[in-house]
Amino acid sequence: MKDFRSLKVIDLFRGLFERAGVEYPIMRRIVEVKLTMDGRRTPTIFNQQGRKKEKPEENGFMKSLMMYVILSVMLVPIVLFEGNLLFQMSLFFGIVMFIVMTSMISDFSNVLLDVKDKGILLTKPVGKKTISAAKMVHISIYLFFLTAAVALVPIGAGTVRHGLLFLLLSLLCLILMDLFIVVLTAMIYYVILRFFDGEKLKDVINYVQIVLSIMIVAGYQVLVRAFSFTAMEISYQAEWWQFLLPPFWFAAPFQLLMGGEKNVYLLAFTALAVIIPLVSIFIYIRVTPAFERNLQKLNSTGGESRRKERIWKQWMAGAICRSKEERFFFRFADQMMRNEREFRLKVYPSLGMAIIFPFVFMLNDIQINSYAHLITTKWYLSIYTAGMMIPNAVAMLRYSGKYKGAWIYQTAPVKSLAPLYSAALKVFIVNLFLPVYLVLSIIFLIMFGIKIFPDLVAAFVASVLFTAICSNFLKGRLPFSESFADANASGGVKMIAAFLLIAVFIGIHYAVTFVPFGVLLYFLVLLGVTAFAWRYAFRTIWDAH
Amino acid sequence: MTIIETHDEIVLSLKDLKKSYGTKTVLQGINLDVRRGQIIGYIGPNGAGKSTTIKILLGLEGDYSGSVEVFGEEISEENIEYKGRIGYVPEIAELYDNLTAKEYLTFVGELYGMEFRKTDLKAKQLMGIFGLEEAYHSRIASFSKGMRQKVLIISSLLHNPDLLFLDEPLSGLDANSVMVFKDILAKLASEGKTIFYSSHIMDVVEKISSRIILLHEGKIAADGSFTELKERNKEGSLEQIFNQITGFNESQKIAEQFVSIVQEV
Repeated sequence: MKDFRSLKVIDLFRGLFERAGVEYPIMRRIVEVKLTMDGRRTPTIFNQQGRKKEKPEENGFMKSLMMYVILSVMLVPIVLFEGNLLFQMSLFFGIVMFIVMTSMISDFSNVLLDVKDKGILLTKPVGKKTISAAKMVHISIYLFFLTAAVALVPIGAGTVRHGLLFLLLSLLCLILMDLFIVVLTAMIYYVILRFFDGEKLKDVINYVQIVLSIMIVAGYQVLVRAFSFTAMEISYQAEWWQFLLPPFWFAAPFQLLMGGEKNVYLLAFTALAVIIPLVSIFIYIRVTPAFERNLQKLNSTGGESRRKERIWKQWMAGAICRSKEERFFFRFADQMMRNEREFRLKVYPSLGMAIIFPFVFMLNDIQINSYAHLITTKWYLSIYTAGMMIPNAVAMLRYSGKYKGAWIYQTAPVKSLAPLYSAALKVFIVNLFLPVYLVLSIIFLIMFGIKIFPDLVAAFVASVLFTAICSNFLKGRLPFSESFADANASGGVKMIAAFLLIAVFIGIHYAVTFVPFGVLLYFLVLLGVTAFAWRYAFRTIWDAH
Repeated sequence: MTIIETHDEIVLSLKDLKKSYGTKTVLQGINLDVRRGQIIGYIGPNGAGKSTTIKILLGLEGDYSGSVEVFGEEISEENIEYKGRIGYVPEIAELYDNLTAKEYLTFVGELYGMEFRKTDLKAKQLMGIFGLEEAYHSRIASFSKGMRQKVLIISSLLHNPDLLFLDEPLSGLDANSVMVFKDILAKLASEGKTIFYSSHIMDVVEKISSRIILLHEGKIAADGSFTELKERNKEGSLEQIFNQITGFNESQKIAEQFVSIVQEV
């Protein structure tokens, strides 16, 4: 175990902890162990042969921080821009909150919801206070690095531009924001834990995690729209609903103290920025015991929950699967994908993004022109961008929380595992992609009119083709056979490749709309290519075992 | 003799212990005194409340009624000192398996207030005796079930506890290791350690226990040494006694049904 520098910093506060009744050496040790574990990934036992044994200690978290630092450069102009500080800073805090909170929910829920800890730590002579303190320190360290990664560059630039007061205010507001985020996350879990139990609870948490990550994206859109881009200077009008958006609270002190503007709204926002996090911490401490008790529900198995065999699913399996093997693999993959929370957690948020993406692109056009203008254009082609989620989702197909069960493929007397791949991909299209696409199609049809129907169908076929292409990410790996712990968090390269490919599709489609019957022709060609690609993939990519 | 006197010392005492989850009653009044040096075989069908009892004793479960005394003191949230004298092997192998055996074991030792060096040495020696010295620096995640179990057993004994709770401790161990472990238990008991042994494997319980407690539907259905139980129930083996007391006599019928369904294809 290596020496953690962050712990040396914590050492400075040793006295404080001890005065609060925490056994410091033990707490330090617990945090040290937690940090060590965070830095490691579970080696996949199933695939251990043929792979390098223990990889050198590499910290996935620290690597992902670098991504955030690079991303944060984007924020620099927002901070530097000459204009309304309230606007700039609420945008800044909005984005920072978004990144920190999604990261908190997706990567750190297991710390907030850890039940293993209880069995291991509580059976030892360690006080509850010490355990809570360890948990707190662990989360704080994580948040510190995360926030620092996102905010360091912009805050640095802002300090050079606006002076020391800016630095001071930023640090203060970021700390308050972090407090707020931790408590908010924990409170959301608490409320859910109160009303549900066992399996149901995990499902609900799962869905809330998904919905929340989608909502934050949507909220960010609202934030941008709170100001009109055209008159960036001072077109901000304080309105009551802005009370509901925390980024405004944290931005208010900047405008108040540095922007030289004083009004009731700014004062109220500033007050909220200070009071809400502190009050919420207080409430959090009060409900923690109840929270911990409810956490135990995570272990209990709920009553029977029978899922009805869906008739249309059976029909679907029969309609799109050719062989018997493929049909039962279809059923299997369907059940795996629907039941597995970890899978849903990793993939569903991107489904939400897929719904939002096409509109994000269109919003820019509305911004410049108007809605009336938009619906006369070919912006409906932005439906292709829903496919942005395909590469990551397909790459995720090979993971499972219960990946160890994959031995069943090897022991079962099936000739080829290729049907498993095609079935898994078909389930992905039917269960995940199609619903999203249908929702989008309906909205688009309402917006652009029935005339785009052929285009939508063609774009769907293109997405299927795209899925087959993306199945290259699965090459040599069986579906549901690897641990999520091995999943690479960053899909950066894949996303860029996907974006380029989608751009190509859009380009071709755009071109054919100028040709009479071009879309129909395009559709037929796509159909042929897709059928060929699917069969080709079946033989080459999937049948590698 | 003084030894006999100390063996009369009550290590653990449950009085009218009741516990329920919601409307489901798990324990319906357990009364039990355990003396030093006893090996208690704690048995019962699934869902009888064995693990719940152990969890309450370790302070993992609250909200019970009745009194629970360990080493003569009532347990409570504040009183955690007694846990320092307890070793615990949980039924489900819960451990931080991203750590190496060395990291995990020294961590546990330190949680018990032991020194790092001393724990390290001790853990290494114990691993060596179980034939795992090679694996000492490997991550537990890569261990087989038996190896994990050995790590758990070692982690429960590092701090030389006076009272041991073992919940299905033999799962995954090979026959030789089982034999070694049984001898270890006998030796520990003769040194005055008290062992609370919970298992479904009746043969082992029958052989090692000095006292057997059978839990059925949240109540103690039988309590005594194996010989005593045998006299009372006129059955040959603990397994048969178990079946008799829990009112289970359909094993043959069920087995026949099962096989006939298997053969249908």
